[in-house]
Amino acid sequence: MIPTLTTDRLTLRPNRPDDFEPYAAFYASDRATLRGGVKTRAQAFLQFAAEIGHWTIRGFGFWAVEETASGDYCGQVGLWYPEGWAEREVGWMVVADKEGQGIALEAALRARTYAHDDLGWTEVFSCIAEGNTRSVALAERLGAQFERRHPRDGLPDHLVYRHPTPSEVTA
Amino acid sequence: MSRATIPVLETRRLTLRAPEPEDYPDFKATFASYRSRFMGGPLNAYEAWMLYAAEIGHWDIRGFGMWMIHAKDDDRTLGMAGGWQPAAWPERELAWIIWPQEAGQGFALEATDAVRRHLYQNGWDGAVSYVDAKNLDSIRLCERLGAKRDDDAKRIDGNDTVYRHPSAAELQDTRLSWAIAREIEHYADPTFKPEGFPLD
Repeated sequence: MIPTLTTDRLTLRPNRPDDFEPYAAFYASDRATLRGGVKTRAQAFLQFAAEIGHWTIRGFGFWAVEETASGDYCGQVGLWYPEGWAEREVGWMVVADKEGQGIALEAALRARTYAHDDLGWTEVFSCIAEGNTRSVALAERLGAQFERRHPRDGLPDHLVYRHPTPSEVTA
Repeated sequence: MSRATIPVLETRRLTLRAPEPEDYPDFKATFASYRSRFMGGPLNAYEAWMLYAAEIGHWDIRGFGMWMIHAKDDDRTLGMAGGWQPAAWPERELAWIIWPQEAGQGFALEATDAVRRHLYQNGWDGAVSYVDAKNLDSIRLCERLGAKRDDDAKRIDGNDTVYRHPSAAELQDTRLSWAIAREIEHYADPTFKPEGFPLD
């Protein structure tokens, strides 16, 4: 069962089939270059389906981020650990017309709090493709620090950032 | 359809159930192997895991998907069969994969026949299979299932050949349905003596 979480402005809810169109539009654009690569519709569909299946396999995963007031789909934020991933991470993706409003920060903080408080994780990471300077900046605003590189087949290395522990967050 | 309501299908030798996390190892081994060359493989560990997660998520998005095929005798997994329609698929597809070490025993025929009958009883009015033109085993299975090559049908990306499955009416107590049932029985019991339609 996928929980629904809220913040001041946002609702983190399970994905619905109609989230796929804005999701596919993001992955058809250059913006996806540093987030796993530009994808065809068929490839984007399989990744979207995998984000849902991840919940069944791992018991956690990505939520759809919705702007509560408007109901607009803003992107995907959540907890992610497919096979081959460097570490259990908090990850984010925001569609083009919802950029620059602090949505990823607000949603990622909520997801990280869920990881700490509800799942009992003491270690949370973010795995960011080398060159994705905006995501690095967000990780640093979240208090995460660079720890190591993680090579990937045919894709840019991941830069692995370690987030503060639950006690460091509350300190 | 939520995962909790994915029906269980039974045949003489097989049980078809929702794919579960613990069913992953043989899927991974198959998609790491040459066996997967006509299905986008071979895949690395990340790609195989993501595809397996997508098999599960497909059920939530479409309300149908791929079942995990289990052997009734020891519950081991044999492969997958079911309905499949990622974005950009022109039509709903009947698809299958059998682990390489389980090939040649008629499992894909038996599972796909059961899946097709189930889907036809639950709203499907037809189906196609998209097959790589070099995948002779799957082309042969299409033909054993009564599907016919349809060169007028829209293809996924031009690298596939479309086989169109017979309608529900064409499988209702016909010579074709009889032949499929007899072939399945033959795999379960190679010495059985058929009754019914005469061979000609």
